[in-house]
Amino acid sequence: MSPPLEPQVEDRLREIGAADLLVGIPSYNNARTIGHVARAAAAGLAKYFPESRAVIVNSDGGSTDGTPELVASVESAAPRAILVRHPLSVVHKIVTPYHGVPGKGSAFRTIFAIAQRLGVRACAVVDSDLRSITPGWIELLLGPVLHEGFDYVAPLYLRHKYDGTITNSIVYPLTRALYGREVRQPIGGDFGFSGRLAAHYLKRPVWDSDVARFGIDIWMTTTALADDFRVCEAFLGAKIHDSKDPGADLAAMFVQVVSSVFDLMHVYHERWESVTGASKVPLFGFPHGVGLEPIAVDVERMQRIFRQAASDLREVWEAALLPEDLAALTALAGVEPLSVPDSLWVRVVYGFAAAYEHARLPREQLLRSLVPLYLGRTASFVLETATSGAEDVEQRIQSLAEEFVAQKPHLQERWRG
Amino acid sequence: MWNDVLAGVIQETLAGFRQELADLGPRLLAMTVILVAGFLVSGSLRFVLSIALRRLGFDRLADRAGLAHALHKLGFAGEPSRALAKSTAFLVLAFFVLLALGSLDLGLARELVSQSFTYLPQVLVAIALLVLGAVIAGFVRRGVLIAAVNAGLPSARLLAGFVQSALLVLFGAMALEHLGVGRHIILVSFTILFGGVVFALSLAFGLAGRDLARELLERLARKGEPPREDPLRHL
Repeated sequence: MSPPLEPQVEDRLREIGAADLLVGIPSYNNARTIGHVARAAAAGLAKYFPESRAVIVNSDGGSTDGTPELVASVESAAPRAILVRHPLSVVHKIVTPYHGVPGKGSAFRTIFAIAQRLGVRACAVVDSDLRSITPGWIELLLGPVLHEGFDYVAPLYLRHKYDGTITNSIVYPLTRALYGREVRQPIGGDFGFSGRLAAHYLKRPVWDSDVARFGIDIWMTTTALADDFRVCEAFLGAKIHDSKDPGADLAAMFVQVVSSVFDLMHVYHERWESVTGASKVPLFGFPHGVGLEPIAVDVERMQRIFRQAASDLREVWEAALLPEDLAALTALAGVEPLSVPDSLWVRVVYGFAAAYEHARLPREQLLRSLVPLYLGRTASFVLETATSGAEDVEQRIQSLAEEFVAQKPHLQERWRG
Repeated sequence: MWNDVLAGVIQETLAGFRQELADLGPRLLAMTVILVAGFLVSGSLRFVLSIALRRLGFDRLADRAGLAHALHKLGFAGEPSRALAKSTAFLVLAFFVLLALGSLDLGLARELVSQSFTYLPQVLVAIALLVLGAVIAGFVRRGVLIAAVNAGLPSARLLAGFVQSALLVLFGAMALEHLGVGRHIILVSFTILFGGVVFALSLAFGLAGRDLARELLERLARKGEPPREDPLRHL
């Protein structure tokens, strides 16, 4: 069901009539970066799709730092220096607040609704905190949909080895094991998709759940994979961005993402139950290496929280973990340096997924109790890869993903209760 | 003559006793029957309830709601389903005992039965308050424990235990208040105890945790400033 749109947006939609392409930018207090993102989007549309009717939509969550005004003031025409051909049509802009639960998902919902109303063929959404976006991203996200008939384009970035730890340790390997497709950045934040898929998203009754918040990315990817839409990846280069939300509580963000993954496991149980192995999806773009910003990690704090949880949260973990896994974790807490093996971590995630499904504890409490385990696993990963290069670390993540696939029968057994 | 008088009195007494025995006998028999029936009904109920509750997943539900932990803390070592079955059976047996006493038709028994039935709704409400308190206290305890561990507080278990105990005491006081047991004493005791604990905690925090107190106050004062970024990007 479509969300209500502002009267001035309705007027603007009538004025524009129809469009071929749409680039959506969700925002909330991103004045520092959104001007660059909007300019890159406008330039990308003008340079790579000069013959298409295009719209840029900024769906804002009530920014107080002038974010919408900045988007409104961005020149729609790209600088002549980057254009090969003069654009035949102007790039329209729509700046609107969104309604519903405050969060990225609700912002996307408004973008999907506008895409549907304009009858667009291809859409892209890009984060408003990006510092590394170039006009080329727009081509890479829209091109496979427009020219190759794909329905969903997931991003593939070069990221620092410690960037995206929830993705690397839970979301990517679990999605790969469940749905049998290797989408390396399922919660990357920047996606391309067809108008058909946008309409499909709008029909789903998920807009009051965590999907309306940080859960939107994994929900979009999983829905595309599980409902058999054509999925590919596009190599976008380095992803450099401001922190998602500097003030955001890790536990709240973690719960929103992981609960979305586990809720989707319930919805698509029949689908993933029969999947074995995993295969690559087509890749667009030209993979290359770039320098990345270093990231400082407070490993001591993570280890301290894990160790404390191993003694204080035993009674909670008992609801999710097998006695032998609980014993193994307790034993690990006393060992210096901390090292959580892949096989144990996979059983922990599968155990929590099954406990979440069977509601063995209030779900929010269950997932919050997983946070210290995640921190322990992250600390262990950081310590083990301290001297490793990007390729070695990627290899390490791939071997974890294979462990998730190998232990899938364990998940199926636990799932059945 | 004295012999006749004595014989008359004894005969009269024996006749009276026989009469009373004749009156009381059926009542005693009825009481015995009611008691035996009570034992049978409560025993069967306990057996059926413990099996049915276990099959219906009551233990898991109680565990989830924190009731199991609260019961454990209150000294019930077994499964919650067994505890509930036992308490229900006990209540049913108590009901039969009251009926049995009533069947004697003695003035004292009549009064006891009447008072018990008048008091029963209050007892049931007090029990409901205790159960509700145990569930809420268990849930809050687990939430506080997890949040405190995630925040890296060193005495998370102590804090969670304190919150649970405070809630249990609060609900216990409410239940006793409802029963009308030592109304003023409970209120005054609870006020003194709660006030004392808060005062002690404030002193402990201010004296032993001066640095932590300063840091917290500084953090509050900095609230208007933009938050510091977490260097690790998790998503």
